[in-house]
Amino acid sequence: MSDDQPLDVLIAVYLIPDLAQKDFDEYVKLAGDGKIVTDGVALVVKDAQGEVQVKETGDHLGRKGVKGGAGVGLVVGLFAPPLLAATVVGAAAGALAGKFARHRMQAGIGEKMDDALPPGSAGIIAIYEHDGANTVAGALANAIRTSTAQIDKASADELKAGLAEASAGLAG
Amino acid sequence: MPDEGIDRVSLPIRRPPFAGATKRTLEGSVPDWNQASHVQPPEGAPNVLLVLIDDAGFGNPSTFGGPIQTPNYTRLADNGLRYNRFHVTALCSPTRAALLTGRNHHRVGFGMVGEFSGPFPGYNATIPRDCAPFPRIMQENGYLTGGFGKWHLTPDNQQGFSGPFDRWPTRLGFDYFWGFLGGEAGQYDPLIAENQKIIGVPEAEDGEQYYFQDDLAEKTIDWLHRVRSEKPKTPWFAYVATGCSHAPHHVPRKWSDKYRGAFDRGWDVMREETFARQKALGVVPADAQLSPRNDAFPTWDSLDETHKRLYARQMEVYAGYSENADWNIGRIIDAVDEIGELENTVVIWIWGDNGASMEGTLTGTFNELTTLNGIPLTPEQQIGLLFKHGGLEAWGDEQLAPHYSAGWAWAGNAPFDWGKQVASHLGGTRNPLVVHWPSRIDDAGAVRSHYTHVTDVGATILDLAGIPMPDSIDGVEQQPFDGVTFADSFADATAPERHTQQYYEILGNRGMYKDGWLLAQRLRRIPWDLDPEKLRTFGPGWNPDDEPVELYYLPDDFTQSRNIAADHPEKVRELSELFWEEAERNHVLPLLGGLTSFFGIVPPIPEESKFVFRGDIQNVPSGMIPRIYNHSYTISADLVVPEGGAEGVIVAEADHLGGFALFVQDGKLKHTYSMLGVLEYTHAAEQPLPTGEVNVELVFTADAPKPATGGEVTLLVNGEPVASGRMEHTVPGRFSGYSGMDIGRDNGLVVDRSYADKAPFAFTGEIKQVIFDIAPHMSEEDAKALHVHAAQALAMHAASA
Repeated sequence: MSDDQPLDVLIAVYLIPDLAQKDFDEYVKLAGDGKIVTDGVALVVKDAQGEVQVKETGDHLGRKGVKGGAGVGLVVGLFAPPLLAATVVGAAAGALAGKFARHRMQAGIGEKMDDALPPGSAGIIAIYEHDGANTVAGALANAIRTSTAQIDKASADELKAGLAEASAGLAG
Repeated sequence: MPDEGIDRVSLPIRRPPFAGATKRTLEGSVPDWNQASHVQPPEGAPNVLLVLIDDAGFGNPSTFGGPIQTPNYTRLADNGLRYNRFHVTALCSPTRAALLTGRNHHRVGFGMVGEFSGPFPGYNATIPRDCAPFPRIMQENGYLTGGFGKWHLTPDNQQGFSGPFDRWPTRLGFDYFWGFLGGEAGQYDPLIAENQKIIGVPEAEDGEQYYFQDDLAEKTIDWLHRVRSEKPKTPWFAYVATGCSHAPHHVPRKWSDKYRGAFDRGWDVMREETFARQKALGVVPADAQLSPRNDAFPTWDSLDETHKRLYARQMEVYAGYSENADWNIGRIIDAVDEIGELENTVVIWIWGDNGASMEGTLTGTFNELTTLNGIPLTPEQQIGLLFKHGGLEAWGDEQLAPHYSAGWAWAGNAPFDWGKQVASHLGGTRNPLVVHWPSRIDDAGAVRSHYTHVTDVGATILDLAGIPMPDSIDGVEQQPFDGVTFADSFADATAPERHTQQYYEILGNRGMYKDGWLLAQRLRRIPWDLDPEKLRTFGPGWNPDDEPVELYYLPDDFTQSRNIAADHPEKVRELSELFWEEAERNHVLPLLGGLTSFFGIVPPIPEESKFVFRGDIQNVPSGMIPRIYNHSYTISADLVVPEGGAEGVIVAEADHLGGFALFVQDGKLKHTYSMLGVLEYTHAAEQPLPTGEVNVELVFTADAPKPATGGEVTLLVNGEPVASGRMEHTVPGRFSGYSGMDIGRDNGLVVDRSYADKAPFAFTGEIKQVIFDIAPHMSEEDAKALHVHAAQALAMHAASA
């Protein structure tokens, strides 16, 4: 990611989980095709029983299902280590846990998503360079509500502020 | 009492003359046991089970080609008769009034629903004594009579403890009644009336979730078993009216999940497939054409994927809800069979009272009360609020009070156009009828196409029972039925068609049928549009004859698809004149007499503004709570808080989808106000309540006396403010269609879910009294303005009830 590009922190929520999956796939493809520059993306699903899990992640290269420690991106670190460990990141999460748990604690986004999503719904969290905003908006066509905040760079503090702002924008 | 010589045309039947002899002592006296006997129905009179499903369309049940599986309805139809030209009035109470009285709905005061009693004879929601319902006639002729389920014929403001009770079911012909008095009920938390008392919100006894329809079947069966244990041979009449398929669409998931994916191809496809099945079944003539597509409803293909999935789920729930009704009615029929009486029981089962309802608006709604309160919500808002209140998985659960999209109603009324409220079109007036009577019907599985109307049912049942129409009841001369018997068509497919002429009118939508011709004039208002400004266009200065005219000849056009008005101007004129004659004769005039408040005609302002609740008062019906809407009010409570503190609800109305609660939690006074689940406001004291005698007060100071006003809330303890806050919008018309108010607890679904696990969260201290002052410091002018609004809001609710 370039240092002088402002970043968008986006949270999108979905009434239908598989439509979120569809948009997630589209987003990852855009990243893979180089049409957007992203720090990462995560698909969060709350099942009918109310259990939240990170169903999939994507990294800055548009790779789904993070396998290694590098390039996971800030977004993936937004969630509790147990959540990550239990889902797609698997064993690799161990090395990341310490690094990203701090961000999660600061941002509290895991809890916020848990609160915001009713059972049987889904959300996407993504960070990308602002130039790609229109492209991303087109990709996330099935979201019932999106909220975006802008930050200067992908740092933990900036992310915390951006997520707080984006979360607030989801209300109402 | 011997049958011969009984005068059944003057009711109640007199005691027969004493045929014995009396002397000074028993010596020589001759007894006459007839003096101590009771009248019996005429010899051979059958049992009668009359079933009415709510808010459903001609094309809903599989029995008539629809996509909703109704095996019990079908088994009766296959062993009985399907009537495919049976008609209703196009609205809830009016159809029920016409059904039970055998007279046209306006003639018995029900041009509108029971929630709105208007100032004209056709709209006063008060069945006149000279139009006694036919169950009263059966009762007076010795039948055992029971009513179960939805009633909707008692005026909204007469449903409490103080009566009057003369328009309750037990005073209109039913020995026993169990159900709900209003137009709708939550299936998980209905407010139940039994006989002449509101008995509360039931709870399941086995730890399972309570479900009204299951209980409805069980209560009906229990009544049947009880009366049969005491009177093994006396004929009975049971009227069972389901709350289904009226909103809120509530059904356990196991029922709705059966339909997962069944409606993914949308309402346009559903309509076409239903029509094809209807033809195959023979309930629609082979040469009929599907009524033209109505542009009021979006094409399925025009919807985005999220809305397709949302709407499909709405219909899955509606279908499961309806199938459950079929299953529960099937249990009642099985019970009749088990006691060996199905052979000689006439079952008359009507699937729908007004076509399917379009009152969910095009989007459907998470809370039907938003529509009824006139709160327009955009599709985005609807989805956002659905998301907030549990998401798509919650559709059908108690978390929501849902109603599906109008598109499904339109498709459910296939092959006809429009639906509920639209009395000019068959989508609102033609519903399935099945008649089952094995001992008399030998043409099992046949379709009858006699033009029949809901007013005919009473005359038919009396005809079957051999009971004459009485001249008088209780000394009151009775008006004749408008309906006519079609009993002979049970056994004879060629029996003459007697109902040759019928007017229709609901909310200005008009129809005039005569000898196959139907004049139709639909008001230029979409049924879900309750905008007061729009409604006022039909006030003084409006010429009803300027509305567009359509003319159909139904014998050649089963589906009302070919408007031939331009080819037959004389027929148009003839039927138009006939309509006005019928309208005058039946008290239809003035048109829209049920919406008078929109035109400045409102009831007198009530003098009472202070209501004191002492003691353990629970389950005040929603239409009878103090009207705290749209202006300032105070709620004051005198409590005794024991040492160690108290907790629980002081007063609560309705639930989290509309209602308020004043309660003590964690020792602190709190207030929660749900603006129909759209907005929620909470206020809480920081300090615990003191012990001993304590006065707590909630003061709402409105910004202005106006609809949905915002204002400031202050909580006070012993006169000292302890919390305050603002409510930007308040409920303008009504919190709930069915949920009641409780002192000292929160029965049923709760207002604030933080105490749901302790529900009903009864107050652990003592409540000496709760006082509502609903008109503090209001000017006469403001009071009048608000009164007008209140009447309008009530009418708006009524229009969709």
